[in-house]
Amino acid sequence: MKIAARFYIAAILAFLYLPILVMMAMGFNESPLYELPFSFSTRWYQALAGNAPLVNSGINSIWIAVATSIIATVLGTMASVALSRRTFRGKTLLQLMLLPPIAIPWLITGTAMLVFFFYSGIGRGLHALLIGHVALAIPYVVLVVGTGFQTVRADLEEAAMSLGSTPVHAFFSITLPLLYPSILGAALFAFAVSLDQFVISYFLATPGFSTLPVQIYSAIRKGFTPEINAISTILLVGSMAVIVIFALFAKPGGVSDKR
Amino acid sequence: MPLDPANSTQLREPGGSRKPLPPWASTAALLVPTYGWLTLAVFLPLCTMFAFSFLTATPMGKAPIVFTFKQYRAFIDQPYLLGVAWQSLLMGFWTTFFCAVLGFFAALALVRATEGKVRETLLILVLLPFWTNGLVRVFSWTMVLREGGFLDYAIHSVWPGAGSVGFLYTRQAVVVGLVHGYLPYMILTCYIALVTIDNTIVEAASSLGARWWTILWKILLPMAAPGLISGSVLIFVPVIGSFMEPRILGGRVGVTMGTVIEDQFTQAFNWPLGAALSFTMLAVVLGIFATFSGVLRRGTAL
Amino acid sequence: MQQTRRSFLTIMGAAAAAGLARPRLARAATSITVLNWQGYGTDEAWAVKAFTEKTGIQVVHDYFSSEPEMLTKLRTNPGVYDVVLINSARVSQAVADSLVVAADFSKVPNAAGLSPDLVNSANRNIDGTGYGVPWVWGMTALAAREGGTIPDSYAALGDPANVGRVALSDDAVTMVALVALLTGQDMNKPTDLAAITDKLKSFKPNIKLMWSSEDQWNKSFAAKEFDLSVYWSGSSARSKHISKLPVQFVVPKEGALVWMDTLNVVSGSANPDAALAFINYMIDPEFYVEWATKVGAPASANSTAMDKLPADDLTRLIHDPKYLKTSTIQAALTDEQREAFNNLWQEVKAFYAA
Repeated sequence: MKIAARFYIAAILAFLYLPILVMMAMGFNESPLYELPFSFSTRWYQALAGNAPLVNSGINSIWIAVATSIIATVLGTMASVALSRRTFRGKTLLQLMLLPPIAIPWLITGTAMLVFFFYSGIGRGLHALLIGHVALAIPYVVLVVGTGFQTVRADLEEAAMSLGSTPVHAFFSITLPLLYPSILGAALFAFAVSLDQFVISYFLATPGFSTLPVQIYSAIRKGFTPEINAISTILLVGSMAVIVIFALFAKPGGVSDKR
Repeated sequence: MPLDPANSTQLREPGGSRKPLPPWASTAALLVPTYGWLTLAVFLPLCTMFAFSFLTATPMGKAPIVFTFKQYRAFIDQPYLLGVAWQSLLMGFWTTFFCAVLGFFAALALVRATEGKVRETLLILVLLPFWTNGLVRVFSWTMVLREGGFLDYAIHSVWPGAGSVGFLYTRQAVVVGLVHGYLPYMILTCYIALVTIDNTIVEAASSLGARWWTILWKILLPMAAPGLISGSVLIFVPVIGSFMEPRILGGRVGVTMGTVIEDQFTQAFNWPLGAALSFTMLAVVLGIFATFSGVLRRGTAL
Repeated sequence: MQQTRRSFLTIMGAAAAAGLARPRLARAATSITVLNWQGYGTDEAWAVKAFTEKTGIQVVHDYFSSEPEMLTKLRTNPGVYDVVLINSARVSQAVADSLVVAADFSKVPNAAGLSPDLVNSANRNIDGTGYGVPWVWGMTALAAREGGTIPDSYAALGDPANVGRVALSDDAVTMVALVALLTGQDMNKPTDLAAITDKLKSFKPNIKLMWSSEDQWNKSFAAKEFDLSVYWSGSSARSKHISKLPVQFVVPKEGALVWMDTLNVVSGSANPDAALAFINYMIDPEFYVEWATKVGAPASANSTAMDKLPADDLTRLIHDPKYLKTSTIQAALTDEQREAFNNLWQEVKAFYAA
């Protein structure tokens, strides 16, 4: 049974990484039109080294994604505490209100933001960009952390409190460690949402400031070259290295402990 | 936000020297940052858009502003949109279905067959493809699925005489691309729900002679339900409005509500119609989930 | 209603002044911001560098990905842009909203060489004033894979010989205008939209995909996904010359859709003279020849520049000036026309997908 399960996990990973491997391979393919057969070349990596706008946009994207995922995870987790552990009127409405940012295509939300930020004087720029990125990431965080809350028993917290612990202390010492996998997952999602967010960055960034998705989408008309594959590969391998090192050497969280 | 202090007694106030906040105040303090942020960045802009959806033309430039309900009549005036909407719902359904099946078992396999750092690393590996640009991922799929693409290449290297199995520019190709893009959501939410299952329950059940499908249906699936539900929300809702995957992988058949709406915003500059179509779609989505959550609640009560 | 609208605009203006004045002040006095499609001539690194060396004017770029978006960016960012590229069919829209100022040819010495067919186009002459400096022109017609049959009519798009081998442009206005020509109508004022719908629907078995960018076209054509397509003249020259694709551009007997792009000084530009200097450089023969031969470009509106191209240059061969006489320039459309065309195209696409 275990062997079948592991085989299944391997199959799922193969499916998930198939286009990623293709992406990486095409970064080393000579043809600018992604033509087959494959012919090995490092020309796109050399071109990338000389393409400062693309590299800078990649760096911008990472910073914005880091900031977004921190802010959205903190705010979203707070809201999730209230939605999962408190009883109050209008809760269902508040939960339903998380759907529009996910349901309305980003293109419309982005256009709406552009118009509203313009009318309201918020304007364009880095601040507007962050406001938009965080807002779109928050619902994902609340939903993911909320799922975690449904599996963490409230009575543990109450037990701690009945033993003299304050609610805040009970939360930080009991609930938070148990929620660690959901919060980590939520943060990774928030990071992904921001990293892939094109419309908002496109509409709200000031001329001259650009993020990687904006570079990629704007390049559609001009024709995007395997340089895009090269920088995507570097970003992915880099983040993979950071995370795997972190996962292997950091102090293990509550996730691996039996509850 | 209507708060009912009487209902908030679940949280016991500890006797201490510090004066604790009343429960409603702390609840509000937890909620205000998130909903304030969402209001500023999403709800107010969307309200503006909602107002636009009652206009005859995009309120930019010097065109006079005229109010109308005609944008919401689009499904009557342009009946072919009903077919498009139906196809979008089907696309959302199949994508969610495949994600649920694949994702539930992947999460189950992670929980039952791995542990510790291996499990943590595997989970992160599942999420990592998300960190590449969506367009680049979809574009890579075109190279896999097209005639003479990587899929054909792989098959021909094993069986040189085989014909092409490339199925780019079909509905199946769109669903493959969407499942790939959204599967990690389902794996994560199911994993979060399943990870707390007590092994002893499963072992006790099987030692009492329960068959594996009984364990699956009576123990594992109900426990995974919260994860399956939030996963489905995170997948079904954005998928029916998606436009990139249908456009690039669907070719001629890649026409969905998402692409129709996108065209209204980019090509046609008809924001009112685009907005009206999105809000109609949102209403349908909310309706589906309202019905569905009622059914679920009754289901779990049994 | 009009009153409310005006005060609304005042608020918008005030908000814009408060929120958007800062980046403008922070910029150097001799810097201009250009709004254009990405990779469309004005942002060639070598050209910008040469221009800055020559004049001391810095050039910043911002991009749009559709024409309505360009208009939105101009409207929501007053004072940010100095130069904007506008398809001549959209100039009247920009003028109606006072987004651009009249073209001052006295500060554009190279304007002397502009082709009169383009300068006199009704698209840019609005109420007796000329707007927008004609920059480049091109055609939309057919592109066929070399070695196959070369079609002589748009009817080839529906020819049973081409089942599953045809790509259309995913642009409502283009497709309606093209099939208007095929059905013998005025492409700028088609009256029998039902005939156009039916004709487009009859292409269904042939249609493989609808492309929306040159890049997509190149990659799909290179992967041999189609053999016949609606395509742009300048792009076909680039695809053949730069990407080495076996493509031949064809103007069928019904004629081509001619389009012209203009460069405009944006209303409220702080540096209109610098903007005009940049526009002048953009129609300079020296810049154009380098752009056309090294990168690939549509035809320059400046006939002097076209004459400087080598006689066997593909861009020059494709863009025979005779087409400016025999084909029609795509004209401005009313909002009602655009809406009707878009609805028609959505219906056709839904039919293709069903």
